[in-house]
Amino acid sequence: MAEETPVTAGPPLLEATDLQIELITAHGVVRAVDGVSFTVRRGETVTLIGESGCGKSTTAMGVLRLLPEGLAVLSGSVRIAGRDIVADPDAARAVRGRTVSLIPQDPMTALSPVHTIGHQLGDALRLRHPGMTRTEARDKGVELLAQVRITEPRTRWKAYPHQFSGGMLQRILIATALAAEPELLVADEPTSALDATVQASVLDLLMELQERTGIGMLMITHDLGVARLVSDRIHVMKDGRFVESGSAQQIVERPAEPYTRELLAAVPRVGTWDEDGDGRSEPVAEEAAS
Amino acid sequence: MPKYLARRIGQSLLTVFLTLTTVFLLVRLAPGDPASAYAAPNATTAELARIREQFGLDDPLLVQYGLFLRDLFTGDLGTSYSFSSPAFDVVLDRMPYTITLAVSAIAVTTVVAVPLGVWMARRADTRRELGANVLTIAGQSMPDFWTGVMLLTVFAVVLPILPASGFTTWSGLILPTATVAVLQLALVSRLVRREMTTALASSYITVARSRGVSESALTWRYALANSAVPLVTALGTRFAALLNGVVVVEVVFGWPGVGSLVVRALETRDYPLIQATVLVTATLAILVQLLVDLAYPLLDPRVRLGKAA
Amino acid sequence: MTTAVSAGRPSAVTARDLARATATRQRRGARLKLWAGAICTALVVLPVTLAGVLPLPGANTQDLSRRRLPPLSEGHLFGTDQLGRDLLSRVLHGGQVSLAVGVLAVLVSGLIGIAAGAAAGFFGGWIDAVVSRFLEAQLALPLLMMLLLVVALFGPSVTVITCVIALAQWPEVARLTRSLVLVEREKAYVAAARVLGLRSWSVLARHVIPNVVRPASLVVLLLLAQAVLLESALSFLGAGPQRPFATWGRIISDGQDYITTSWWLVTLPGLVIALLVVGVNLLGDGLRDRTRPRSGKGA
Repeated sequence: MAEETPVTAGPPLLEATDLQIELITAHGVVRAVDGVSFTVRRGETVTLIGESGCGKSTTAMGVLRLLPEGLAVLSGSVRIAGRDIVADPDAARAVRGRTVSLIPQDPMTALSPVHTIGHQLGDALRLRHPGMTRTEARDKGVELLAQVRITEPRTRWKAYPHQFSGGMLQRILIATALAAEPELLVADEPTSALDATVQASVLDLLMELQERTGIGMLMITHDLGVARLVSDRIHVMKDGRFVESGSAQQIVERPAEPYTRELLAAVPRVGTWDEDGDGRSEPVAEEAAS
Repeated sequence: MPKYLARRIGQSLLTVFLTLTTVFLLVRLAPGDPASAYAAPNATTAELARIREQFGLDDPLLVQYGLFLRDLFTGDLGTSYSFSSPAFDVVLDRMPYTITLAVSAIAVTTVVAVPLGVWMARRADTRRELGANVLTIAGQSMPDFWTGVMLLTVFAVVLPILPASGFTTWSGLILPTATVAVLQLALVSRLVRREMTTALASSYITVARSRGVSESALTWRYALANSAVPLVTALGTRFAALLNGVVVVEVVFGWPGVGSLVVRALETRDYPLIQATVLVTATLAILVQLLVDLAYPLLDPRVRLGKAA
Repeated sequence: MTTAVSAGRPSAVTARDLARATATRQRRGARLKLWAGAICTALVVLPVTLAGVLPLPGANTQDLSRRRLPPLSEGHLFGTDQLGRDLLSRVLHGGQVSLAVGVLAVLVSGLIGIAAGAAAGFFGGWIDAVVSRFLEAQLALPLLMMLLLVVALFGPSVTVITCVIALAQWPEVARLTRSLVLVEREKAYVAAARVLGLRSWSVLARHVIPNVVRPASLVVLLLLAQAVLLESALSFLGAGPQRPFATWGRIISDGQDYITTSWWLVTLPGLVIALLVVGVNLLGDGLRDRTRPRSGKGA
């Protein structure tokens, strides 16, 4: 996996080498990720794209060591901020919520339903800054909510997840991820549970963020439209392996592999967002009861 | 909320009323005659008839039922045949003992079962947890009267350190509580394990873990709070069941609660006493369940604030 | 366990990883529970069913010269009781009655529960309202008290006690069946069967119920354990069947008076009940663990 477009200098934020993830299931050992290598540097977005079941989400959860210990066996190496989280489980705990944050797949289930937004966002802030008081955490959190364009953040601080729409929850989760002031974001299908129009606004937000802070991003998606829009580099994944890697432009315009062409053909018109069709619609006016 | 409350209370009253009616009919339709239990062994037919008249048992069933309802609404549950005092008062005298035992058993259960269940969920499927799991299965499999007799033998007879029966000192509470708690503990800790296993596997836990939240905070603050509704429901249901009189344990330990009272009332066919016991215990049990229902909004904001966005 | 891995990169899964994996542990746990459960159950059920052909003294044969002999005495493995009756024989013969009551009660409650729960879940409306009211009332009722009442009034015959236990247990089956049917009802084949013009009750009987019987039957073992416990509690309180043989609870309650001098009269019958119920519960738990493997999440 050669680096073809050195976008930014400096050591990689994330460097996976021959990462292999095997899942021990009731039906035997399944090799979900079969020796992939990639790097993410400051200010760049690297995308893993593939159909569901190809191992891309497992890779994302694997690099954060969030797969259940009794299920997944990791080998190879994943270096985040210089520490190998495959060899050292403590390293994973040390970087989570500090160097690296996760934006999860389904925003509707990603927040504890019985705790307020403020409780969960405040928790994240105070974990990063142990000396922070509740009031300070609240002020900072409200600021973060405003940054991700949640209106009336002060009144919504005390609201519960079920009082928000999916798009708003995903923005709140982005704010929570930012609370850690991370250098690297792992976004696991951040828009696939959302409506087309909301997808665009969430992606806009992420790109604006990256421009402003120079954060590195590992994006997981099945949607070539999304990948083309946000990526610097794309790895096309199939059956746990990378079948093709290259710059976004190269992959979209001159795909070398038949599998990549199939993926491209599945997108009706490049540039629009292919809707998952799960019918979850966004309320027109996003005014939650507060 | 007030509308819901009114409907809920209405339902509860209906349940109590139907229960009472069932009991009223059951005792009267069954074979057997209470009069013979209270007359002298060689009583004449006339004497028996007089007792029946005195108890109001010679009226047609419908008339008896009408009188029963009329008295019920004036708070009169009749006079106990065997105690010769108002049945309601006899039951109320026994109630504090039953409540004491129920509260003490449920307190011990909560204090032990919640940490045990949480531990089992976090260590799920390890060797030690498997051992604990099998022990809880044993706990819910031992007949409680047998556990009671065995505890009694060991701690009151072989090593006479605890009182064998009755409730004269607070140490008399230990053995009955332990006997009741063994079963409740097994049931509740298994429920906690099940709920916590589900909660700990939830997406929001993984996402919180990705934020650097510590394992103990994930367990005790996030997962436990999300298991609160089923946990409180279970504890409420168990408590309500205990209030119904831990019949067997009360009999084993000579505990002067409603459980042992009801056994005596049944033996002597004391209709008013049976009815009063059923009324009081069913009302209490339903009240506890009502309180549990009313606690849901405190435990789960989705109930409190409605599901709509 | 098969290792379905393409050639090339070697697998990093060590034997230790395999042994510590959740899937392995769950399977091991389920297997252990099934084996232990089967052994405990068999230890009680086999001698009980064979009680008639085993060379034992009669269960009701008194021998006042051989009263309260301790266990392992000549010819009396469990010793004898206060009337010189062989305890083992009493326990085994009484166990036949206990087991018969338990199995019958579970059958009856299973039939009522599946019928009521399926009707409530499938038809909804007033049937559901009535059944649900019953299910709720049962939770609020002083259960053991009501059972005692019925037995005290109608006499402790095997029939009455079977019915009473079935009455106490059907709501559990009904609740489960109802929730299963509610899910099943929404499936495409039900709609398809209706479009084909099948009557709704025949859809229910021929298609829905067969699909829920298997999951619903998993509770059968747990109900059997409960039924045995309930029967022994009733009989301990003097509301158990006396004929043809006294059941376990009664034997324990009779032995209570001699607890200080003859420990075996209470301890051994209690251990037999516990062994059987533990065995049945372990079997039920193991089967449930096995049929509902919690799968880890994939990619």
